[in-house]
Amino acid sequence: MNPTTTDTLNKKFIDIQNVEQTFKTAKGSFQALRDINLSVAKGEFVALIGHSGCGKSTLLNLIAGLTKPTQGVLLCADREIAGPGPERAVVFQNHSLLPWLTCFENIYLGVERVFAATENKAQLKARTDAALALVSLTPATHKRPGEISGGMKQRVGIARALAMEPKVLLMDEPFGALDALTRAKLQDELLSIVQKTESTVVMVTHDVDEAVLLSDKIVMMTNGPSATIGEVLSVKLERPRNRVELAEDRNYVHYRKAVIDFLYTRQGHVEKAA
Amino acid sequence: MKTFIRVIEYWVPTEDGSLLEFGGGLFGEATRFAAVSNNLCFGRGEGLPGRAWDTGHPIVLKELEGSYFRRGAAARAAGLTCGIAVPIFKGDRISAVAVIFCGDDEAHAGAIELWGNDPEESHDMTLVDGYYGTTGDTFEFISRATAFRRGNGLPGMAWDSQKPVFLPDLGKGSGFLRADGAVKVGINRGFAIPCSTLDGSNFVMAFLSALATPIARRVETWEPDASGTALRRTLGFSEVQGTSNTPDTVSLADAGPLAAAFTTGVPAVAEPMIAIPVAPQGRITAVMALHF
Repeated sequence: MNPTTTDTLNKKFIDIQNVEQTFKTAKGSFQALRDINLSVAKGEFVALIGHSGCGKSTLLNLIAGLTKPTQGVLLCADREIAGPGPERAVVFQNHSLLPWLTCFENIYLGVERVFAATENKAQLKARTDAALALVSLTPATHKRPGEISGGMKQRVGIARALAMEPKVLLMDEPFGALDALTRAKLQDELLSIVQKTESTVVMVTHDVDEAVLLSDKIVMMTNGPSATIGEVLSVKLERPRNRVELAEDRNYVHYRKAVIDFLYTRQGHVEKAA
Repeated sequence: MKTFIRVIEYWVPTEDGSLLEFGGGLFGEATRFAAVSNNLCFGRGEGLPGRAWDTGHPIVLKELEGSYFRRGAAARAAGLTCGIAVPIFKGDRISAVAVIFCGDDEAHAGAIELWGNDPEESHDMTLVDGYYGTTGDTFEFISRATAFRRGNGLPGMAWDSQKPVFLPDLGKGSGFLRADGAVKVGINRGFAIPCSTLDGSNFVMAFLSALATPIARRVETWEPDASGTALRRTLGFSEVQGTSNTPDTVSLADAGPLAAAFTTGVPAVAEPMIAIPVAPQGRITAVMALHF
């Protein structure tokens, strides 16, 4: 592959072209998304933000391959996304852990699925241990989901996703169900993990601060139905990012205001029209 | 009332098409600058008008002094520090280059932004350059970080409609997506026009102004009616009288500046008004009339 091709591929690691998603409902067809065009570079952290019903999760599901678009095409590393795959791991809000398995076993299950054909058991165990250590959960190795807190469960979910060494980490409001302090702690951990793993991340969020703190790019969606991308904000804050220092950073404040402005202006516009 | 735009001039191709010569303009108090301009010609690529002709898209030249701008001394004497050249193409031929000048005195609260999109590269319209007067860097910072999709925000709306878009109040609900920042720096009105290009790229010029220094005393847009034989006024906004919804039409057979600008693709002056054709992709879709 020549350097130009590699460069293009890195810039368009995830490439969404003219995607539309229409659902058939009892009341007729419902167009959730239209004219979605978006490129995510390798190693980029992208947040999808917008009001409820704007199709953020629908878009994430399309990237995950959980649904197929009614029009358009999605590519990951230059290959069409035709279904779910281990190169695109998903972390949901409700962590989706199996309650009868320990933290270790929950993660091992994913590791085994991806690496069993090429690695021995000791290697699979080492991978699982490393993933637990990455999210600081080594002490909870043998605990079951019912025995740990909500924040810890979500960390197991993230560890499980990262242990599969996905090319892309897809997160659907991963911290939405957590209290503010736990959410802040996990956001900081995610910042540090992504810094280490250089993962490409697409995250759905409602939280403006979360979007600005974590992202390189914030994709702001218009209101649904027939939602589309309205505006894209490039967040050029240096990494590593420290939430305490950023609270007084004027650029951080500008970015935050820009997102709030978009959300409130658009929402005001809709109310006026209605 | 001082307006944000201080001088507008336009340059037209000579008969053989080899040069741009002075066509006219509104110069206000900048009479010496007008006199200097009157005697000049520009070849393709020469000076600000010639550069805009050559590149085929608008150019923002924030510092006239020390640049390729050829009338630096006269501009400085007139208090003009920034020039924006907008080529107008009718079909694939240059019909004129309009040049807008602003100053940088304390009364200059407002901004002129040039937004661009190359459809082969991106679906986003991003800031190419901008002149922010005394508006400060807050607004510029967010403009530089923001990319608009077609139909969204002031530039995106002009890009989508291919016609001028005027937002008399940039507050909430106006569709102006940087309202909060705009209100903070005193910007209250926005006017965007899609610009001519020849290469399929999209450019939008956005004028953002504050109460104390409006873009112009009166802004009008005129578009062809359904019959295609007349122009009807689609917008009339005066800083004194506000929005005027009185319907008005002008026959294209009329000898006045509006019809002339629309049919020839060349701006036309009737003091204190200048009519400038809006011709995205070489097709004239409207005429904007600025009264000073």
